[in-house]
This record gives sequence, C-alpha cells and structure tokens, in this order.
Amino acid sequence: MTIYNPGNLPKNDNLNRFAFVVDVAEEIFIRKGKMIAYYGQLQFDSLGSSVLDILIKQSFNAPLYINHFVVAKGRGQLILGDNGNDIACYDLDNANMTIKASHLLGFSKEVICQESTMPGFLTLIGNGKVIASSSGPVHFLGLPCRVDVQSVLGWADCPSPSYRYDYAHVTGVLSMVGAMTGLTLSGEEKQIDFSGQGTVLIQSSELELNGSDALAHIVSQLPNLSKSELSSLSGAVSQHMRG
Amino acid sequence: MPSYSQINEKLIEVTLNNEEVFAKRGAMISYQGTVSFARSFLGGSGIQDLAMRTVTNEGYALMVAKGTGKVYYGYDGLFVNVIQVNNETMYVESETLLAFDSRLRTGTMFLGNQGGVQGILRGAVSGQGLFTTTLQGTGEIAILSDGNAIGLKVTPEQPVFVDPDAYIGHKGNLTSNIVTDLNWKTFVGQTSGESYQVKFMGQGTVYIQASER
Repeated sequence: MTIYNPGNLPKNDNLNRFAFVVDVAEEIFIRKGKMIAYYGQLQFDSLGSSVLDILIKQSFNAPLYINHFVVAKGRGQLILGDNGNDIACYDLDNANMTIKASHLLGFSKEVICQESTMPGFLTLIGNGKVIASSSGPVHFLGLPCRVDVQSVLGWADCPSPSYRYDYAHVTGVLSMVGAMTGLTLSGEEKQIDFSGQGTVLIQSSELELNGSDALAHIVSQLPNLSKSELSSLSGAVSQHMRG
Repeated sequence: MPSYSQINEKLIEVTLNNEEVFAKRGAMISYQGTVSFARSFLGGSGIQDLAMRTVTNEGYALMVAKGTGKVYYGYDGLFVNVIQVNNETMYVESETLLAFDSRLRTGTMFLGNQGGVQGILRGAVSGQGLFTTTLQGTGEIAILSDGNAIGLKVTPEQPVFVDPDAYIGHKGNLTSNIVTDLNWKTFVGQTSGESYQVKFMGQGTVYIQASER
C-alpha cells in the first residue's frame, strides 16, 4: 500500500477510484463536507461570506444551491471523497456541461455555474475543471439516445433533453392503476430522450448515490445539541414521519 | 510467523505454520489444511485488557484460528488493507480491525490520553467513541475500509488535516487536536461544512477512507 506525502500525491488527478486530489493554488468551489483530508494551509469559506462576494458574483449563479458549496482557498493539496462513489474530473475547454446537482463535487473559479432549465441540474460554462461523482464508473454515449432518469449523470455540448414516456407501459392496466394511486410500478416508462449534438454521461448504476449530504450534516451537528434540543428534534422527526 | 498476502482488494490469505491468528468474527471465508477455530476472549492479551475492553465498549468479537494451513479472510465486501508496523503503535477502531497475530500486543487507549481535552472532543465529534484499540510491536495488521484506504505521511514539518468521519486509524508518534474554522461569519451565515478538522502532528502515518461512515 502506497503511503502518500505532499511530494508523491497526484496533482489534480484521481488518487484511486474513490478519491481525488485537488492541487489548490487559487480559489476553487467544492461541495460542502466532501473534504476528507488536506496538506498545507487551506481555509474553507461559506458562500455567504462577504469577502467572496466578487468571486461569487462572477462564478456562482445558482442561488438555490448556494448552501451546498464552499470556497477552498490557500495553498495545499486537498483530497475529496464522496461516500465511496466513483469520482472523475472533466476538463472544460470553452465548452458547457450539465451535471446532476447532487453529483457535482467541485469546479474551478473560471467556470460559471448556473441552474439548468432541467430542475435538479447545474450547467457549467467556460474553461476549467469540473469534478463529479457517480455511482459506478461513468460511460459516454453518443446521440441520439434515451436514458433512464436515475442513471443520467449529465450531458455536454448542448444536446436537447426531453422526457419520453413509453406508451405501452403507460396505458397498460397495471400501470394505469399505478399511476392513479401515485405508485409508479417500474420507473422504466419515463426516460430522458436526447437529440441534437453532444455527449451524454451515464452512470453504471441507477442507484441513488450512497449517503445523503443533508443526513450527514445533521448527524455531524448532533454532538452540539443539548438533551432538550435533541428531544425536540426527535419530536419533529416523528411528526415528519407521520405526515 | 503468520504471513499475510493480498489475494485481491477484498480478500487476504493468512498462512499459518503451527501458529495462531486473531480475526474478526464472521470474517473467515474459507481455509485449507488443519486449522481449528475457537472464540477468543483474550485476543492474545491478559485479563486486565479484557476487563478494560468490556468496560469501554471496545470489546471486539474475535475468533482465533490455530493450526497449519491457509485461512482466507474478507468482510462485508469492504476493502482489506495490510499495514506493517515496525516497533510502533497502531491506533484503530476495533470494528475496523480484521486480523492480527500474537506478535502484537493489544490494548485499549483512552483518547483523552492522546491530546487531553482535545482528544475527548475528537471522539465526540467523529462519533467513534472515546476509546480506541492499540496494537503495539512489529508485524502486520489487516484493517477494513470502505473503498481503498489512503495512507498519509505526517512529518513534523508537514501536518495533515483530516475529516473526522473519514479517519480510520493512525500509527507512529502523533498528537492530534481539533481545528475549527469557526469565526463570526459562521454564526451569521451557514457553517462551511468543514467546520471540524483533526490536525495530526508529529511523525507517523494517518489512514483515511474516501467515505464518511
């Protein structure tokens, strides 16, 4: 087993399937809570802090996701990990790319990040690096293609995505019952149809990513709560479960 | 002495020559030769350590395999890493410990001894308890990790900062303390999510996994 030190860590490359090393020299956006270790002098600032206003104004144009990202700055080597999911880095060369928001782990400050018109996706435009995680390695598909909604990681170079419903599936008796009761039976009847020019990125598995940020965040904060706060939290949770 | 070899990333082979090896209960995949298995309460150490482990919840459930042959170990699809220790101490959580043998002395360490109050806080923050298992001596230890374990070298000039949730264990002569990036902005807005980091200083190696448990 290799023991790493700042000298032999890869630079802006994968350490293994599940970990990625960012050589931090200038500010970079990373997803909150995905830092697993670092060497050097680094500081993490939330996007709400005023010193970063100018940078945010230029690069980060997705107010819905402002609490999901932080800016790492300083000098050092930052290791990112995402709950044992595969991590890959994509180089944008005057191009655009759209990634499922929950899979975006980081992007360099030259890249502009905006909300996609597809809900739950973020579009990244410009020159620089984009780091994303996926359940299993990523596979690239040419167009035209149709992809299961859960397996889509994202797409690059402007294909036009739209939803496609498989009508045999939708009109079948069982599916009708399913649709009326709000239970979808297979989930296979709704696909994303890509047409036009570009590339589609798919994950090897349609499983949702392991572990949820929100949950990890809440659990990490639990030691800070007092007994009475914990009991009111558990009350709120059980109320939520009933509703 | 028992020899450890890696069959693949999730499976190891331990060769015994009229020797014994201690391993996590339920981790034996198969064996060849004349090997007998029994529950081990003492894990190669004394009664006092057993009492300590029982009290501190570091009570690992161990099986001892004794005899001559090859034993294969793997657990729950987790990655297995064989770590060499050379007359040093390895600190690891008992649940990540897969296999070791009697060349190493085991013990239970109160994290508070490892950096005073800061050490206690580290146990509380990482949710991994205040006590950890120590293995001291020269030999090999097999530990489990979710994905490949990553070893990070620490020297007096080059400390490393680690997310407490990704920490698996460490060896050598290290001191740790909690670093927070809490400042007035944190209280005004959201925390940055990287609010607690553990800083390791000294001489040794820290092991992490690319997964927060």
